[in-house]
Amino acid sequence: MFDIQLMGLLNATLQAGTLLFIAALGELITEKSGILNLGVEGMISVGAVSGFMVAVNTGNLFLSVLIGIFSAALFSSLHAFVTVILKQDQTVSGLILTILGLSLSALMGKKYVGKKLPVKIESLVDIDEPSNIYEVLISQNYIFYLAIFLMVATSFILKKTMFGRRLEAVGEDSRAADSMGLNVNKTQFIATCVGGGFSGLAGVYLTLSYVPYWTDNMTSGRGWIALALVIFGGWKPYRTAIGAVLFGFLEALVPRLQTYGFELSPYLVKITPYAITIIILVVLTIYKGGRTGAPNNIGIPFFRENR
Amino acid sequence: MNQIILEAKNISKSFGKTQALKNVDFYLNKAQIHGLLGENGAGKSSLMNILSGIYQPETGSIYIEGKKIKKLNPDLAARFGIGMVHQEFRLINNFSIKDNLTLSRSNIYKDNFEEAFEKYSDIFSLSAESKTLINELSVGEKQKIEIMKLIFNNNNIMLLDEPTAVLTPQETNQLKISLKKLSSEDNKTIVLITHKLKEIQEFTESIFVLKDGVMVAKDLKTQSVTKNDLITLMMGEIKISKVRKDNLKGNNKLEVKNIFFENNHSNVPTLENISLTVQSGEVLGIAGVSGNGQVELANIISGIEREYKGKVIVNGKNISNQGVRARKNLNLSYIPENRLGVGLAPGVSIIDNSAVKDYFKSRLGPHLSSNKMLDYLNLLIKQFSIKAPDPKAEVSTLSGGNMQKLLMGRELISNPEVIIAAQPTRGLDVSAVEALHELIIKQRDNGAAVMLVSEDLDELFKLSDRIIVLYEGQIVREFKIDEADIESVGLAMAGSIE
Amino acid sequence: MNKYLISKKIVTNDLSTFYSFLIGLSVGITIGSIILLVQGQNPIEVFSLMLRLSVGSIKSISSSLNKATPLILAGLGISIINSVKLWNIGAEGQIFMGGIALNFMYISFEISNSKLSIILLLLSAFIGGSICILLPAAAKVLFGVNEIITTLLFNYIIIGFTVYLVNGPWKDPNSLNFPAATYVGKEVYLPTVFGRLSYGFIICILCTAGVYYLKEKSVFGYELRISGGSALTAIYAGINAKQKAFIAMLIGGGLAGLAGGVELLSQTHRVSTGLSQGFGYTAIIVAAITGMRPLGIFLVGSLFGALTIGGTVIQTMGVSSYIADVIQATTLFGALISQFFFTYKIMKVSEDV
Repeated sequence: MFDIQLMGLLNATLQAGTLLFIAALGELITEKSGILNLGVEGMISVGAVSGFMVAVNTGNLFLSVLIGIFSAALFSSLHAFVTVILKQDQTVSGLILTILGLSLSALMGKKYVGKKLPVKIESLVDIDEPSNIYEVLISQNYIFYLAIFLMVATSFILKKTMFGRRLEAVGEDSRAADSMGLNVNKTQFIATCVGGGFSGLAGVYLTLSYVPYWTDNMTSGRGWIALALVIFGGWKPYRTAIGAVLFGFLEALVPRLQTYGFELSPYLVKITPYAITIIILVVLTIYKGGRTGAPNNIGIPFFRENR
Repeated sequence: MNQIILEAKNISKSFGKTQALKNVDFYLNKAQIHGLLGENGAGKSSLMNILSGIYQPETGSIYIEGKKIKKLNPDLAARFGIGMVHQEFRLINNFSIKDNLTLSRSNIYKDNFEEAFEKYSDIFSLSAESKTLINELSVGEKQKIEIMKLIFNNNNIMLLDEPTAVLTPQETNQLKISLKKLSSEDNKTIVLITHKLKEIQEFTESIFVLKDGVMVAKDLKTQSVTKNDLITLMMGEIKISKVRKDNLKGNNKLEVKNIFFENNHSNVPTLENISLTVQSGEVLGIAGVSGNGQVELANIISGIEREYKGKVIVNGKNISNQGVRARKNLNLSYIPENRLGVGLAPGVSIIDNSAVKDYFKSRLGPHLSSNKMLDYLNLLIKQFSIKAPDPKAEVSTLSGGNMQKLLMGRELISNPEVIIAAQPTRGLDVSAVEALHELIIKQRDNGAAVMLVSEDLDELFKLSDRIIVLYEGQIVREFKIDEADIESVGLAMAGSIE
Repeated sequence: MNKYLISKKIVTNDLSTFYSFLIGLSVGITIGSIILLVQGQNPIEVFSLMLRLSVGSIKSISSSLNKATPLILAGLGISIINSVKLWNIGAEGQIFMGGIALNFMYISFEISNSKLSIILLLLSAFIGGSICILLPAAAKVLFGVNEIITTLLFNYIIIGFTVYLVNGPWKDPNSLNFPAATYVGKEVYLPTVFGRLSYGFIICILCTAGVYYLKEKSVFGYELRISGGSALTAIYAGINAKQKAFIAMLIGGGLAGLAGGVELLSQTHRVSTGLSQGFGYTAIIVAAITGMRPLGIFLVGSLFGALTIGGTVIQTMGVSSYIADVIQATTLFGALISQFFFTYKIMKVSEDV
């Protein structure tokens, strides 16, 4: 019995963590190019609602996922346009992107609240109550395995490929990157849209598997957690994944605390990841002389020198 | 017969009212090391920025290997193999040497990186491995990587902007050997931009000299010119000072005793045992090539830099431990070298900037009287004939000359007892320079003690009563103005004391 | 192929922020109209109804201004902090913290004089907001920790803390479905000026004037401007830039806390998760759209308050209240885009050889 409970917790941890991780990984890619996008919450929401709408109307799962990703990427291009091309403040633009994304998706999804899904993203192997770790690991949703693939791929691309190194070069020092003949604007624009696409995938996962239904504000702050995760993970994919598991664990733990007979307030437990993130950020800034792993040029618009 | 690889003809460029380059001709012989000599503000950087496509000239044309280039931009310049090493490095600090050398789109050593890296490590006698991160390297090593970056990007014309400014004498020597190898073994065409005579003589084969935006000497063979020739070319004939020097001198107003200062942030020369005095009614010139400790000295006297050993005494009062505000109250004024960024806050209005020195005099408790501030600004505008149409406009909308007049007016209107002026006229046009010089002389005649930091020898000779030369943080020579001649001051600035 | 270079215009139009706002607003209304059309609504009908219900009568005007109050107060706080070029994304949390501090004072001390009591309660709300930003401010000035991230994360800590309080120690046993703290007594409700207009709006006017004075006319505001313009100039002028930034952040956080206090005493009358409905985030829009000018924040905040009220009441027509959020957000996007053309000039660079 205890085993099954524990496996249930692990299962829920991975599910919650997957969602957070995908969004965080997307934001990581965007931030690596030097663009801060605070609009993750809004982008997830846009991806979630558009994927859900397509699924309800067509029943085509593949198309729903694709549209979810694409619409969030398109939506994030607004941020890219305003900050990369027009050099406006990234903080302001990202925040409005969140507000706009939440309200737009609420408007779009108004008629879909309470609708039933004809399809759902499947698990690899269907096991109702996994009883050991192996069973938990093979009974995950397809998106889970996709997330693992994306983690490995992103880490590899950033570290080992020319494309990834150039992306990081732009985010580290856009002037130096420009002197290397790299196209700073193009790189940042694409990275922002890719980040949006990842958020869209997280959104689709939310409405087509994790929850699965549509209601207003159902992202409930996960986009902000994703932002915190990037910091927590020191802008590294694997460490971000560890953070995602931790945050996912706490999300999964909270409703279960009482059944385990703990007196700990679930509401205070929910706060801890944020507090940990702040502490990590402060400690890193102090002891690493400001080198928290953040791309050097994050938030700073790039101007080519000219007279 | 030399083959000309790049030629710029009849180049002119102006910024606002100041003309940086006037009908300049310039050309480079293939596989030679060229020196481009000139004082600060002579137009060296403007010319180099035009050659690397960053600035567009108003007149003139550029030929690369005989082909006329209509409009050069940075990408195009890079494609034709023109590369520049700027004074601030363009390296990505968190990245490895290899990344910095190979990420460029025009990298030519894609497949045989290790081989090429080994070859050039040898030429530059660089011992670091290719996976070392840039931020683990010394300044000298970073510079080697910057130059290597040009080679890896297939830049056969290499423009080096003051490459030795950050190097130790040993590193400088090493750089010389490496550059000679590059030109002779690798057929690189190199331009060394500098105002250091010693280096230009040791490094180069051919010398160009810019003075006030005019190319005063072209393709001089290095062996056939002397240091004195170069000084005369670079500094021009010293004009006979029109400033009266019959000023009465009084008590010691500013005394600096045994200042020692260590700068942890870079390897800028520290200050070593600096002692000097300035009397009332006297102008003391501090000569020296920039980066030899002048800024640090001025910051110590004005109270900005507090971590030093030694004494600063104003009017007999030891103020070594006091802050900026207390020193201002003793009527000490500081005109910093960095006009916009230190003296004036960019992005802030003209009226706010006009009050930086004395804003606490316009206060009534927590209230700041905008009327008083405006009156003060109008007084400055009138007294120093500043052209500032809109007090609320950002200060950066002013021309360089008006900015400096605002800054100097603000610092001088209270008739200060002690004035520290660093590079007060750099980059300004002749009429503005004249007006600012008059201001300084007027203050001198009012009995102020003036310490004038400048690299411009004309200015120093015109205004100073005495000249002290700073080299690598030490006072190497002191001259009375009637005993000084431009050559010996120039030589002392270049570090050679005969 | 052509390339474009952009650089800052030397002279910018003084009224450019205002024009940008107008352009932005028309973009917002246009996009709002399109969405309404797509949803089969008549935009003119909807907008005129919104207008009528938000500013058509004394009653509706006062509702709008009550709604505007927390936006304006938090927006003013953000603008003070931005004088030193720092961001406060944590206004949302500070609003909650203001409410929490107020309620804490209310249940801990009994003061018989209700006027004095209200003043003390609002003061504690202000202090609550300051406490909420204390750590991000200290971390910023002492170690240079990015304040955008820390203030943002604090929102979640404080909101989580609020959820804890209203479900745990402060839970009102009579409020079964909606977790909330017990109501405060009627004696500390903020009185109304007329109609429904709360005295909170008077506080808001006073704060606008105060912040305007502080930013534009005081020595402190001057020192903030210089510090924000260039840290080196501040040192040169003998201004302790870090200390000024720290104080500015505490005041800014305090104003957001005050917004929470006013909202509690005039509208919700208790601590709950509904104390702020994203006011802290909307306040950032309000502050950014006006170029951080106090009077602008007052006007745009009032307008956005009306828009929110209009958005709420048109729900009866079957139109989603989210339309108001969409209009607000697209207005700022429109304003940002047009601001670009006021601040930058674009040059074409030919690529031909």
